[in-house]
Amino acid sequence: MLAVGPNGAGKTNLLESLHLGTQGFSPRTRSDAQLIRFGERASRVAVRGRRAGGAPIEIELVLGAADGRRARVNGAPLRAAEQLRAEVATLVFTPDRLAVVKGGPAVRRSYLDRALARLYPARAGLSTSYAAAVGQRNAALRRVALGFSTRDALEPWTESVAGLGAELVAARTDAVALLTPVFAERARELGLPDAALAYAAEPPTVGSLSTRLERDLERGTTGAGPHLDDVGIASGTRELRTYGSQGEQRLAVLSLLLAEAELIAERTGAPPLLLLDDVLSELDPQRRRVLAERVASRGQTLVTSTTAAALPTQPDQLLEVVPGEVRVA
Amino acid sequence: MFSPAVENLVAQLTRLPGVGTRTAQRLAFHILQRPKPEALALAQAIQEVKERVRFCRECGNLTEEELCGICLDARRDHGLICVVEQPVDLISLERTHEYRGLYHVLGGALSPLDGVEPEDLRIDELLRRVERNGVQEVVLATNPNMTGEATAAFLADRLRNRVRVTRLASGLPVGGDLEYADEVTLGRALAGRREM
Repeated sequence: MLAVGPNGAGKTNLLESLHLGTQGFSPRTRSDAQLIRFGERASRVAVRGRRAGGAPIEIELVLGAADGRRARVNGAPLRAAEQLRAEVATLVFTPDRLAVVKGGPAVRRSYLDRALARLYPARAGLSTSYAAAVGQRNAALRRVALGFSTRDALEPWTESVAGLGAELVAARTDAVALLTPVFAERARELGLPDAALAYAAEPPTVGSLSTRLERDLERGTTGAGPHLDDVGIASGTRELRTYGSQGEQRLAVLSLLLAEAELIAERTGAPPLLLLDDVLSELDPQRRRVLAERVASRGQTLVTSTTAAALPTQPDQLLEVVPGEVRVA
Repeated sequence: MFSPAVENLVAQLTRLPGVGTRTAQRLAFHILQRPKPEALALAQAIQEVKERVRFCRECGNLTEEELCGICLDARRDHGLICVVEQPVDLISLERTHEYRGLYHVLGGALSPLDGVEPEDLRIDELLRRVERNGVQEVVLATNPNMTGEATAAFLADRLRNRVRVTRLASGLPVGGDLEYADEVTLGRALAGRREM
């Protein structure tokens, strides 16, 4: 599907609504207030479609300014809007996503952790649990340094950080191993040669955390572990964060997204819904064609653009977006 | 907004866990509308509980005597101690009618973020009990969450080599459907599967 309209017509708004309606949250903001029209008390997104097997699905999401998010699937209420993620998979590209390549290690870590949560739902809570353990250990370090607590009391948190940290490193390593070959293949198609992901992390152990205990006590934070790791994204020997052009960084983010989509399709039997916002603007005609053919080959994709001519192939459906309205052309 | 007395009641109710201002107001108006004896019965019950109920000297359970009924029960296995965070956890375990040992109520779980240190819990009392009373096994039944697991690890380190230490298993709720189990619980149940 191609959504076309002038700047400010509401293309991104349409895409954000689809993300909100299928995942329960916006890719742009975590603040519900920003998703409700000025002066109104609630907003509502209703999505109707078919699952991969052909079964109909209807989702309704209501955001209330006062009473939070409520989601229904085929009329049945969900316990939490977050559960929508288990019903439908949606992957989104927005120009902000370039931060995955360009930004600091924290952006790449959280991207990798979200990807691993989608690939291994049973391990989805790992990064949150690990962060909670590090938070507790840091609090314990500061209390020991201030004399409110003893080193004995630090031990269980060192064990939690080591245990969960090792599990998180293992999960990330598995996810990277799964993503890398598909990522390299999609990147090669898009003209980014020898692309690779690199995640070489030492899992923290009780021993390694103990040897750096004095430094950690001094600083009041746990100075080693997967909360400080980085993921390398390179083409050949060039690290794209520092040495990639804007275009190459975009290709890398797109290739990652396509790789993830392919793996989710393979593992769940249903290709995810792809939402690509303003993806064509910086690609040359040859790469636009490769991308268009790739996304047309499976699943459903919504691409936004200011002109219909930007897409070199014929979309299955052309949507015209004008302020306040979407028309099927 | 209301009279100072009502304001005060609302403020007192808001201090209860899980009660916000809205709920507190609803409860306050409910109390106001009930007949006087009924409302006063609640006040009296609160007073009585605070005057009569205390913590068992041995295990920390709620009791009206020096020792609780469980610690005094000679038919129970005094060589077995089950460690829980709160008295409500003990009540849940008692409902099974399966456990015939004694308990030890810690009064919470370790959490440096909330300022809860080992000395804030009844840990020394537990170690002394194990030393003294010929205890053979300690069952760690703290909650299966971050702070409960860390507390269990802390206790296990201190009890190991002195006594047999066990931990409650994690897994699927009985009588439920796999369909409704969350991924993390199912993952743990898979990891802890057993031979048949």
